[in-house]
Parts: sequence; structure tokens; C-alpha cells
Amino acid sequence: MNEFLALSLAPPALAGGTAHDAVALLVIMQLAAPAATLVAIGLPALFGRPLSERATTRLVGSGFGVGFIAGLAMLAVLATRRFAPEVVHLGSWFSAGHHDATIELVADGLSVPYVCFSTGLCALVNAFAGKYLHREPGFTRFFLLLALFGTGMNLMVLAGSIDVLFAGWEFLGISSTLLIGFFHERTNAVKAALRAFTTYRICDVGLLAAAVLVHRAVGSGDFERLFAGTWPNGECLVPATTATVVSLLLVFAAMGKSAQVPFSNWLPRAMEGPTPSSAIFYGALSIHAGAYVLLRCESLLDAAPLARAALLVIGIGTALHAATVGRVQTDLKSMLAYASMTQAGIIFAEIGLGWRIVPLVHIVSHAILRSLQILRSPSALHDRHELEAALGGHPGAGEWSLRNLLPMSVQRALYRVALERGFEEMAVMRVFVGPAWRLLERIAAAERAWTAWLGEKRGAAGDGAGRR
Amino acid sequence: MTIESAHTQMLVMIAAIVVAPLAAAAAVSLGVMRASPRTPAAVGLAVSLVASLGLSWLWHTADGAAYEYGERLGGGSLIHIDGITAAFMPYVAIVELAILLVAPKRFLDAAATTRILLGAAATFAIFSTAHPLVLVLLWIATALPTWISTRGTPGGRPAARVFAIAMLTSLVCVSLGTLLMLVDPPWERGCGVVGNAGGWLVALAVLVRKGIVPFHSWYPALFSGAPMSTALAATMPQIAAYTAVRLLIGHADHGEGVAVELVALSQLALVTAAYGGALAVVQRDLRGLIGTLAMSQSALVLAGLAGKLPMELNGAFCIWISSGLALTGIGLVAWALESRAGPLSLETPQGRFRDSPTLAALFLLFGLASIGLPGTLSFVADDLIVSGSLDDRLHAGLLVIASTVLSGIAIMRAWFMIFGGPAAVDGPRHLILPRERVALTALLVPLFVLGMFPSPLVRSLERAAEQLLGVPEVKLQSGGHETEKNESNR
Repeated sequence: MNEFLALSLAPPALAGGTAHDAVALLVIMQLAAPAATLVAIGLPALFGRPLSERATTRLVGSGFGVGFIAGLAMLAVLATRRFAPEVVHLGSWFSAGHHDATIELVADGLSVPYVCFSTGLCALVNAFAGKYLHREPGFTRFFLLLALFGTGMNLMVLAGSIDVLFAGWEFLGISSTLLIGFFHERTNAVKAALRAFTTYRICDVGLLAAAVLVHRAVGSGDFERLFAGTWPNGECLVPATTATVVSLLLVFAAMGKSAQVPFSNWLPRAMEGPTPSSAIFYGALSIHAGAYVLLRCESLLDAAPLARAALLVIGIGTALHAATVGRVQTDLKSMLAYASMTQAGIIFAEIGLGWRIVPLVHIVSHAILRSLQILRSPSALHDRHELEAALGGHPGAGEWSLRNLLPMSVQRALYRVALERGFEEMAVMRVFVGPAWRLLERIAAAERAWTAWLGEKRGAAGDGAGRR
Repeated sequence: MTIESAHTQMLVMIAAIVVAPLAAAAAVSLGVMRASPRTPAAVGLAVSLVASLGLSWLWHTADGAAYEYGERLGGGSLIHIDGITAAFMPYVAIVELAILLVAPKRFLDAAATTRILLGAAATFAIFSTAHPLVLVLLWIATALPTWISTRGTPGGRPAARVFAIAMLTSLVCVSLGTLLMLVDPPWERGCGVVGNAGGWLVALAVLVRKGIVPFHSWYPALFSGAPMSTALAATMPQIAAYTAVRLLIGHADHGEGVAVELVALSQLALVTAAYGGALAVVQRDLRGLIGTLAMSQSALVLAGLAGKLPMELNGAFCIWISSGLALTGIGLVAWALESRAGPLSLETPQGRFRDSPTLAALFLLFGLASIGLPGTLSFVADDLIVSGSLDDRLHAGLLVIASTVLSGIAIMRAWFMIFGGPAAVDGPRHLILPRERVALTALLVPLFVLGMFPSPLVRSLERAAEQLLGVPEVKLQSGGHETEKNESNR
């Protein structure tokens, strides 16, 4: 551990900059604060003695608070240096042969504002959830997963290599899955969590394969070897073919986390989780994780017009799909989920267009608005019911809508399509999931039959199943 | 401490590791503490664990060269202590002790305890030798308790028959193959057809004993039909992988690295890794899932062992340890749950979370630690094996990725299906027992500690892999000049 910390601080000292030292220290605090709270509330819970509600919320809140303050300090230090990127080497995690798994983080004009924003939002949601989940079974579990999410988010945002980015990405996926299934006694929550995890895992192939290709192409996972320069004006350092393949794989990975068509049907179901987690995951941070990764690798996208075109098509397609389907949803959280999906689609399209600052601003503003809406949704429903009761009817009935411009036949067709959620889920199930599942079940059945034949051909009669 | 005294102490440690469970078995069968055979057995295995840790410490503080003792035959001596021994002895001891501690009381009668101890002693003995004939004898010694235990289990005869077919096939192959290799040694120059045929037969035996497609049926069958302790003790130490290390990577004597037989057949191992992961996704019960996952992980180990680079071997060793600890943990949690409330189906949510929240948390942690969660040893292992295979086997890296992805889906499906859903009963909560907590924590801690701080283990296994492959170690002298030092002492 001492060696690790020594390595953490040695390179900045060699670089000779006090600012570099300060940034390295602040980056460590960014990661260590939420990780420490994870351990502090996780270990007692594992040994059957969870902390009290107050202690839990205070600990997690302190972790995010320290992270937020460290983020602001980091922002101030970087501002004095015109946001020139600071690469922080936290030493070698392990090395074998020519493979050296270094922990490398980057503080620049993209990561530092984003990490401030994400830790700040986590701290606010922590404060909200402390009241909202009071005396809820699984209170500690929620905050444990929130701390895991915060740690993963900071790791992903500050990642200076695709390996570290993948580590943070995985923590996001696991915490998201477990929070969707938070109310584990509801069968629907369990199914929704499993659906989300399966989607994440399939799309993770993109990130894993991208990591493999990056290592193969440049001999390391460090972003420094992929692109150079100051964000958002980086310069791609790899050939166009490599950039295109890696970019397409990253787009594939991002599609899963950001619920882009055809991997979007998990998102409305993900609202089975507690409202605070829905707000921070599917309204604010997790839904934009894919977009963040694409922004981080914007220099690769610049050298990959094919990937940008794909982003444009996917983004516009998702936005149209979600905007249409969202209009016919009958519950508020589903409607908000589709609204999030619409904005995420538009952000994808913006990145596809080659914009950098616009999608970043869009992400932050959308995240703040949507998380507020989701957090407010339970009481908004209550208010709405009171309003309708007072008015004796639907307050917004009869107002003008854009859809009135469409012929009635088109409106009816769109309504049908929207009711079936764009037939997206049906198509995915019938074309991919169903046949693959049936094939695997047949193979498994054949395996069982073969094993039974091997075991029972000369077996004693009446040797049925029993206790092991 | 001189090297000689360190070697003497290592021999004492090896003796203690093997003799302690044998002595405990004798005590149990003689009726010492008849009401609680677990106590003397646990003492015996605890002594083995302490001695194995001592052995590991002694080896690391000595000169780091392999130490051989006794008659040398066919590339290996009776007692062989190297980096593999130092790393795997404590691993086997933790697994065996955890199995014993978690075993339900009603299962653990004197006969079952004796079988566990005898199997453990034979497994320890395997990991301390490189002598081909002794290895063959110990293959038989480890297979017999498994077969007897499975056969004696209600409903276990079909599984015992499948196991017997596989073991007989592998024993015939390994015996014949070893004899042929001794007649015409491939580790000497000018090896002929007989020696090569011997190599192929040993490789085939390894494939069968490791449950590689198309010889894999016994793996899920054993987990479905045998007591969990038997299935775990038979599969987790991976003695076939150890045999491959000693007999097929022994070709390094002439700088040829891994035997060509192993390289050729490892393609099947890669397919098995992905195939096992795919089968695990659609399993209908938890035991089937653990069986197919164990098959997949076992195949990954073999695939890594066939690599040409020390890094790949290193990855295989890490997967060996990480998947063994994690799957033992999953299996023991499953056994603990079964002993409380019967078999566990994966077809509908079983609602066991409220019943056993700590076991749910442990199952999840072991599950995540088996599928490459960052911060666990399996992430390091996957990283090494994928990175190592990139140089010459891109498809290997992609199949490893496929295997990891599918295993992950299977594990999370199992977790949600077992612990999710409405609670079925309103009865008392089945709290985790202290001995279960101790055993499962002992399995869990190394997975996370070695995952967070993997450097010492990775360095040690890298050195062992280099010694096995006969890779010259490149060292920088004080003047900055590179010198090569062949660490192989053979």
C-alpha cells in the first residue's frame, strides 16, 4: 500500500509542478472518498451489524461531499492552467511480461467539470434518499450501491486508459442492475434487473473488444497513445481503420448503457427501482455514461466518419422512437424514461455531428432537469390528483398539439405503433433472443439426455433423484 | 537461514501438509470425538493450511529455485517444490477446509469425513510431486473417494456411473501414456513415435479429467448427483491441470515450451469455455449451473496453460485460483441454502433473500468475483489471459470474452432467481452459522485482497511460468547491461 501511494505521488513530483501534485492528490481523494464509504458501511453489513440510518447517510454524504469539494478544488487548479490536461499516474497495478496494467487518470476540461457535476448530484440524491427510504428494508443496501455507483462513476470519468474506464463502467452496470432489482420481492423488478444486466453485458462486449484492439494496436490501453492534445481539440494518433473499428465498438457499448434502439427496452422497466436511484441512474448519470465515453474518445470519432454516421442514425432513430412511444405511456415514470431516452438519442446525434461542447452542456442540463422531475414525480402525482379532483376533470384536455397537424389515419397508425413500443422488443425477442434461447435449451436438453443415457443404461432400477 | 535448512524445513512442511489429514482420518475412523467428527478433521486440515502457508513463505524467502527431493524419473522427482507448489498448496488447503466447515451436520458422519480427509491428503500429495508414476497412482487415489461418495448418495448412481466411465477412460489414457513417455521420453532428444503417442494419450487423459468437450458430461452430472463437498473437492483443485503442468509443460527442458499436444487440444478448451458459459445461461437448477460454470472455468485454465507466453500461463494460474475460490464459495453457499430449504430451481424466482440475506450477499460477491469484476482476482486473471493470447491467438481472446460475458449473465440470472421473488414462507430466518461465516469469509478475502493488490502473486506466478517454459530471465545489471539467466534448474 505504501509502495502504491509512493508511486501515486512520485510522478507528479518528478514533473515538477505543484499544480500537478495538487491535482494528483485531489484525484486520489475523488476516488478514495466514496470507496472508503463503501467499505465503511459494507463491512459491518456483511458481518450482520449494519450501521444506523443516520450514520449511513452521513458517511455516504461525507464521501460525496469530500469528492465534490475536491472536484471544485481540482477545477480551480486546472482553471489556472487553462485546462491543460494533467495525466496522473497512480502506479502499476500489476505487470507481467510486456503487459503493464497501469492506473492512469486524466484531469482535463471534460473530466473535471463532469466529476464535480456527478459527485454533487450524488450528494444531493443521498440527502433526498435518506428521508425517502426511511425505515425501508434494504436501506443500507441502497446506500452501499449508491457509494459503489459513485466510485465507479468517478473512476470512469477520470479514466486515463481504457482499462480503468472499463473498471468504472462495470461498477456502474452492477450497481444499476442491483438497484433495479432493489425491491427483490417483486417479480417484475427481478425480471427488469435481469433484462438490464443482460443488455449491459452484451453491449460490454463492445468495450471489452475495443480494449483488446487498443492494446493490440498501440501496445497499451492508455489514451495518451490513442489521441493527443487538449479536449475538445484532440488529435487522433492511430490509423483511420483502427479508429473506425474501435469507435464502432465504443458506439456499440454506449448503445447499451444509454438505451439506444434496439437496446432500449430495458429502460422503462428499470423504473422498478427506488425513485432516487431512478433519478440518478436513468435521469442523470448512468443514461449518459455512453455519451461520456464517446465524448472522451472524440478524437477517434473525428477520424471515423462511419462511426459518426452510425451515431447520427442511431441517435435520431432513438429520439423519434422514444418521443413517439413516450406520448402514450400511462404512468409517469415510464413517460420520464422515454423522455430521457429521447434526449439521450439527441445527444448521440449531436456527437455524431461532430459537436463537443453542445452535447456536454446538453448532458448536464438534461441530467439536472430529469433527475429533478423523477425525484419530484411521486409528489407530482399526488398534486395532480388533487388538482384534478378540485377541477373535476383533466386540466390539460383540449390543448393544441403538434400531432393535430397529422391526418387522423397517420395518428392512428402512430398510436398503434407507440402502444406496441415501436415493435422493438417484439423484433428483438423474435429475431435474436428467442431463437438463441431455444437453440441453447435444445442443446442443454440433448446434453441432459446424453448424460442420462450414459448414467442409466446399466444403472440400477428405481435409482431416482434424491437428496445430495 | 541457509538454503539447506530452508529445504529441510520445506520437507517438514510437506510432510505435515500430507500427514495431518491422514492422521485426522485415522482419528475419525477410530471414533475419536464420534459425536462431532468435524472437530478433529478441521484440526487436521487447519494444520495443513498453516503448514502450506509456512511452505509458501519458506519458498519465497529461499532462493526461488525449484527444489527436488527423492528419485527423479521421467522429468520429475518424488518431491518437487517450486512456485506452483508454493502458490497452490495454500489454495487447496483453504478449499478443503472451507468444504469441511460448511458441510451440513447431517451429511458429515465419520465415513464422509474420512473420505474428505483421504481425498484432501491425496490432493496435497499430488501438488507436492512431479513423479509421473506417483501422479498416476494419486489420480486413482483421488478418483476413488469421489466415486464411492457419489455412488452412496441417494439418487447418485447414474452420476457415479458417468463419473466412472470418464475416470476409467482418463486413468487408462494417463497410465498408458505415462508408460509410453517413460519408454521413449519426449523430454530427451530424438523422441520417436512411441513417445509422441504417449504425449497424446496423456493430453487426452487431461482433457477427459478436465471435462473438455466432448468429454465434459461428467462435470454437470457430478454436481447434480454427488454431495456438493464431493463435487467441489473433485473439481476445484484441478489435478489434471497440475498433471499437464508437470508432464506436458515439462518439454521446456529443451526450450520447446508447451507440448504440441496440449497446444492442439487447447482449441477444444477454448470452445468448451464459451460453450460452458452458454449452457450455464439456460440451466434449470443451481447445481447444473455450478457444474457448467465449473466446466467453463476449468477449460479456461487449460486454454491458458497451452499458451506460449509466461503471461498466458500466469493468467491460467490466476484463473485456477480465482475461479476455484469463487466457485467453491458459490457451491458452499448453494449447499448451505439447500440444507435449509431443499433444492434450488432457476426457473422461477425463489424468494430466498429475506430468508438468508447474508448468504445472498456472499453468493453475489462470489458470483461477481468469478466473472471478472474489477477489483477481484478474476479480473486480473482475465486481463492476463486475454492480453497474453493477443500476440498470436486473437480468436482465443475473443472466446475468453464470450465466455466471461455468458458466465456473467448466468451468475446474475441465478442470483436473481434464487434470492428474488416473493418470499415463500413466513417462518424463522435461517441465519448464517458462525462456521459458515468463517469458511466463506476465508474464501472471499483472498479473492478481493489479491484482486486489489495482485502484484506479489502475479510476480511469483510469472517467475514460476518462466521456469516452466524455460524462458531466460532478463535482469539489468548495475551497469545497465542486460544479462540472461536461465532460471530453470533442470
